[in-house]
Formats: sequence, structure tokens, C-alpha cells
Amino acid sequence: MSDTSTTHTDERAGNATVRKGRSKLALDRLITFGAVIVLFAVFSITAKNFFTMRSILSLALQTSTTTLMGIGVTFTIITAGIDLSIGSVIAFTGTVAVMAAIAGVPIWISMLVGLLAGVVCGLVNGLLITRMKLPPFIATLGMMMVVRGVALTITNANARPAPESFGVLGNDAIFRIGPQFPGISYPVLIMIAVAFIFHFILKRMRIGRYTYAVGSNEEAARLSGIKVGRVKIVAYIFSGLLAGLVGIILASRMVTSQPNSATGYELNAIAAAVIGGTSLMGGVGTVGGTVIGSFIIGILTVGLTMQGANYFMQQIVIGLVVIFAVYFDQLRSRK
Amino acid sequence: MPEVILQVEKVSKSFPGVKALDQVSFNLCKGEVHALVGENGAGKSTLMKILSGVHEADEGVIIYKGRPVRFQSSTQARDAGIGIIYQELNLIPHLSVAANIFIGREPLTRFGTLNEKKMNADAVAILARLNLRIDPTITLNRLPISKQQMVEIAKSLSFDSEVLIMDEPTSALTESEIDELFDVIHTLRDRGVAIIYISHRLEELKHIVDRISIFRDGRYVSTDPYAAISMEEIVSRMVGRKLENLFPPKRNVPTTEKILEVRNITRKGVLEDISFDLFKGEILGFAGLMGAGRSELARAIFGADPIDSGEVRIHGRRLSLLSPSDSIKAGIAYLSENRKLDGLAVKMQLAENVTMANVREVSRSFGVISRAQEMEACRKYVDDLNIRTPRLTQVVNNLSGGNQQKVVVAKWLFCDSKVLIFDEPTRGIDVGTKYAIYELIERLAREGVGIIMISSELSEILGMTDRVIVLHEGRLEATLITRNTTQEEILNYAAGLGASAIRESAIRTTHRTNERHGNE
Repeated sequence: MSDTSTTHTDERAGNATVRKGRSKLALDRLITFGAVIVLFAVFSITAKNFFTMRSILSLALQTSTTTLMGIGVTFTIITAGIDLSIGSVIAFTGTVAVMAAIAGVPIWISMLVGLLAGVVCGLVNGLLITRMKLPPFIATLGMMMVVRGVALTITNANARPAPESFGVLGNDAIFRIGPQFPGISYPVLIMIAVAFIFHFILKRMRIGRYTYAVGSNEEAARLSGIKVGRVKIVAYIFSGLLAGLVGIILASRMVTSQPNSATGYELNAIAAAVIGGTSLMGGVGTVGGTVIGSFIIGILTVGLTMQGANYFMQQIVIGLVVIFAVYFDQLRSRK
Repeated sequence: MPEVILQVEKVSKSFPGVKALDQVSFNLCKGEVHALVGENGAGKSTLMKILSGVHEADEGVIIYKGRPVRFQSSTQARDAGIGIIYQELNLIPHLSVAANIFIGREPLTRFGTLNEKKMNADAVAILARLNLRIDPTITLNRLPISKQQMVEIAKSLSFDSEVLIMDEPTSALTESEIDELFDVIHTLRDRGVAIIYISHRLEELKHIVDRISIFRDGRYVSTDPYAAISMEEIVSRMVGRKLENLFPPKRNVPTTEKILEVRNITRKGVLEDISFDLFKGEILGFAGLMGAGRSELARAIFGADPIDSGEVRIHGRRLSLLSPSDSIKAGIAYLSENRKLDGLAVKMQLAENVTMANVREVSRSFGVISRAQEMEACRKYVDDLNIRTPRLTQVVNNLSGGNQQKVVVAKWLFCDSKVLIFDEPTRGIDVGTKYAIYELIERLAREGVGIIMISSELSEILGMTDRVIVLHEGRLEATLITRNTTQEEILNYAAGLGASAIRESAIRTTHRTNERHGNE
């Protein structure tokens, strides 16, 4: 028996870290979720009309796009990558979908075409990163410019109105009862569905497991027979697909194609993921965290607006939240 | 009586949940090499961190050069003359040797720009004190690891260190590089520097150590002149019980059934036309110096690195060798030398690591993982391999080195591997756990797995294997039957000297043995 008191010491040390680890995890969830509640409470008290069904539903609607983008970028960040092309892909896919609809393609097919365009952008990102071995930052930075350029070129930089029925997805809702309860908008339903589906993929499916493995230790993953390249490509395709979804939703909401829109949106998505505990070093992150992160940004934006703070003020506050969220996260993990 | 330069009296240190050091006393004399040994968790590292100012002691006194000291930072300790060389080097790979030595205190010209000239000249002078000739302008990462380590030592010396702590300095060095390091250590000792030498490789202590102190479970056990204590005694004090043998009895019987056939593997500049067979139930050793191509050969067989020509067959079926996934499916497993770097995903859970190479096995349709099946499978290996963990969902980073190694083994057993390649399986693992790993390897062979064991420790090769393949500069020099060979024969083939040099080396060995006896 190799059981000496040494192993006991090890075990004691191990147990101590475990207890700490477990409570830390619970604490993390509690703190981030608590932050949402506190923010919500603060604005409910300070801002008139914040705590009404109407504004809550509008908050959910506003947050849905950040959440969708955030979930996509979370996948790429967990693989220790990044996707900077999201904003451009949103503009491009919206434009493509609207142009298809204008050309007479049935609305739902034109929307599928938009999604497909997003998938293609993600695939190209993935191939640049895995085949040409470019750093994700560079590959997606390049794609950010290229895709934006294509969107501007094919439209001559003009916004075009879409057929009226194109606007249903972004503007309609279910359970609409009247001014008191304007219903749950489709984008919010889509957000909820996407969050559950991608949470399931990340936590319960092989591809999710591989995503973590690649980000945690790429070489170990490769030597375990995981096809690292494929896993990364899938992550970028997810990001492209969800950016495409946001592109369609936004185009539908405005019932126009706007090739100049969504500039810099990827940064909001990254902020949401990071506030939600995703590590840019890879291997760490959850869909739930990113959803919470998006809502923290959303509540701040809506709440500050209703308090009369201008856009510049909001930017300052959200920037500080990003900085301190990560700072406190590091403080806790260092202990 | 030599002058005592550093004295530790009844020092204790606790971390949440563990008492890392308990009333430890210890002293160090000027001009001595003092070995500090003990299993992982014995408290060596904690004591060193206290001496070098990284941690502060909870209680106890440290007397340095006659005065009690209490270092609050490693800078303070360094300025007082206590330097530490960590296992992982703390140098900047893209800067020159001189820039590394003088980082943070670069000599300046009158105009406030860097005085490269003076820096290079000073660096040469410091390196000369170690009898080293290294170009100070060369970029650090162009030097071999051993030379980089010398630079680290030189850097430490440039602070006029009187006490130098070396933590596992030989773990990344080859045999000949170790000799160079020992020369440097002798030079330092002769200049009056006191050296604390921490190592898991007890074998090497005999070349340099004057006194040896043993720690166990955070407590001080004993200090003796090295010549007055036997190896068996050291080991039994370290583990707190008698360790009868270093290796388990060999009960595995190699069969005549070929599992693995390797033919004409060539990778330009790395491997040259290598062929061999592995039999069911056999333990085959790969011996050779660092850079001989042992790991490269293993990685080629596993499909981890591309090859230019050659083929590998397992049970007669040819492997594609394009990526590890085909080799894994065919039943080959490679347990890499560096667990943390390319064996484990340390941020992930134990269970997730165990199933990593074969998640398919615990998946339902559409790639959905069954957590229940996964836990059940892991439970079996945790029990079977005696992995000490509080939970199956424990994050691997929080496990000890030996247990991490077992997790890697579990990962490959879960793939139902028929050929297991162990690359330096006991590196950085303490004596007690080593034995458990040896037992495991031997048991696997007995159960019919074919095993390839790469090791730099010849005692391990001799104690564990049935046959040895000796590599030299990417070529297969010899295939030897272990029980008919000797350490000298293996070393000669490893050095590329072939059979002709055996006689000559026998003379050298006698010489060395005499020297050793002289010490004792």
C-alpha cells in the first residue's frame, strides 16, 4: 500500500481546493446573477417606468441581438480565438436577404439565404484560421473589412427598402394583448431558443466538449485524436450563423437593407461574453454567462437612457463594467 | 567547522487546509552543496519559497549571516544574496544573453541610452566566472536549454549571490549537459557559494552533494554527510517506510505474437530508416541521449508528426499515419513526456479528460454525451488505478503529479489501447508514486498490452524492460535483450560509439567507481 501520510496531506490540500473551487463556482454564478438583480432593482427605483411590463419586454428585445452575437462569439473565444467580423457579417447577411426578397424570392427562403451567407462567412474565417494558419485576430479582422466592402459594393452603399412582409420577423410578437402587454417579440423567442440549443450543444454534445478541449489544450486535444481544425471551423460557423440570424432580424426590424449598419457590434458581443466569465485565454466560458453578460449591458443601456443619461455616459459606464468585471474575476481566481 | 551562512529555526507555514511546514529546522554552510530531498508535498518548495522571499513564514526564525531576516519579496532576498533557479527558467527568449542577465538594471550611457558595450563586456566577465564561453549578443532562444540554464545561473551570480537555490536543475538536461552543470556547481562551491540542491533524481546526487537533508510531510527528518548514508536509507526516510525494491518483480511474459510492426520510418533530418517489432505482453525500452529521436519516433508511429516514408502495421493492418485519430482507433496510445503541455486539458474535469480520446463510447445518437455513462466508465478507472480524487468532476489542475499521470493512463485504457507508448512516464514524480506507475506498466504488459517505454533514466530501462532499442542521432544503433546488457553498453550505443568502444568505456567506469568509493 502506498498510503503514507504524504498522500493524506495531498488529499487535504486537494479537498481544500475542491471546497474552495466548488464554492467559488457557485459564488461566480451568484455574483453575476446577483449583479443583474441589483442593477434591475436600482433602476426600478431610480428610473420612472423602468419596472413595467412594457419596458421589460423592450429590454428583452433590445438585448436579444447582443445575446445572439455573444453566444456565437463565446464559441470562438472558448477555442482561444475571436471573431471580429460579426458586425460586417450582420450588415452583409441582412443585405443579401433583403436583396433576395426584392428579387422576388419568397421571404422565408430569402432569410435562409441570409443565414447561409453567414455560414459561408464563418466557414471562410474557419478555413483562414485552420488551413492558412492565420491568427484568429488577423483572419477575422481581414474578413471584417472584406465582408463590409462586399456589402457596400453590391448595394452601392445604399439602403434599400424590403417588401413589407419581410418586416414580420423583427416587428411582430405573440401573445399581444394591447398597450399594457405588447407581446413577446419573435427575436426574444429566437434568443431563448438559441440560448437553450447552444447551451445544450456546448455542455452535452461531443462538439461542445471538443470546443472546450481545443481551447484548454490544443495539443492534448490533437493527440487525443480530436480533429482540432474541424472543431474550430464549426465554432466560426456557429458565430457566422448567429451573426447571420442577427443580420436578418435587424434588416427585418428596419424593413430595409443597411450595408452601413452594425459597425462595431462584435465588440458588444465580446464584452457580453467577457462580462459573463468567458476567458480570452480559451477553455472557459458558458452560454448562460454570456446571456447574463448581455443583460447586464442591456439593463445598463436602457436604465441609463430612461434616467436621462446620454449615449456618451452609457459608453463610459459599460466600459467601466467590462474593466471591473474582468478585474474582479481575476482577483477571485488568483486567490 | 565550516561557517554556517544560513540557519532556519522552527519555521512553520500553513496554507488553507494544509500545514505545509511544521517546525522545520535546517542549516547551510558556506561552500557546500546541500541536497534537499523528499516526496512531493514534503515541504521543500515551500521552504525554498520562504527563503527566497516569495512566502513569509508563519512562525520561526531565519538567521542569515548571523542576523535574523524576514524577506518580504524575492527582490529583497536577491539583493541580500539569496538567489533561486527555478525548474522553469525565468528568462526572455527573444532578448540577447547579456540583456537577460542585466534585465531591469541595464547599464546606461551618459545620454540615457542603453550601454550595450558595457553590458556585453560585463556579461562575458560574469560568464567567465563560471568558466563558460557564451556569446553575450546571441539571442537566448538560439541556445540549448542547458546553456540557457547557465545564463540563468550567471544572472543570479551577477547579484553576488552567496546562497543559490536550485530546484530540479537537471530535469530538462541530457547526460552530457548535466556534467557541464555539475562542473559549474563545483566552480561555484569552490568560490564559497552555498548551494541548496533539490532533486528527484537521487542517482545524480553522488556527483556533487556534501550533505543531505530529508523532509517528509512538511517535517524535517534528518541531515547527514552524504558519504555517511546509503541510498536505501535515504529512500526509506523519504517515504517513511522501507521500500524493498525500486522496481516491481517482472512477471510479464512477452509472447511471440507481433502487435506492432514498424518498417523503414524516415523523417528527413530527424529519423532515418527505423524498423522494429513489438510483441504482445512485451515492454520495449527506447534509450538514447536527448535529441536522439526517441520521442520523435514515438510521435511518428502515433501519427502526431508527418513522416517522409515508411509504414506502421498493427496486427498486420497498415496505419495511415496522417493524424493521431486513426492510430487511436487502431489501438495505439501515446502518453507524452510533458503531461501538462500536451497530455491533459488541465482546466477540464477528471472525467472529461478520461473520456477525451473516446467520447464516442459514452455518447448516444447525434453526438449527445451521456453524463451517467461517462461517470460510470470513469469510476471504474479511478478505482482500478487508485487515482486519489475527491470527486470525478475534480478539475485536473488540482490533482497531484502522480494522479495526473494516472488520469492520462486512464484516458488511454478507456480507448482499449493495444499499444501504449510511455514517454518519460516518471519524470517529476516522487519515489513512492514512481513505484505505483512501474507496477501499473508491468501489470498492463501482463494483461497483454504491448508497451514502449521511453526513458532517460537507464536504471528504469534496465529495471523494467524486456528489450531495449538504442537510438543515436535518429538512427537505430542496437536492439538489445535487457537482461544480457549493461548500462555501459547502452550508453556506448547511445553515444554512437558502437560495440568497439565498450572496452575503453569499461576503464572509464572503473575510474568513476573508484572516485565514488573515495567519497564514501
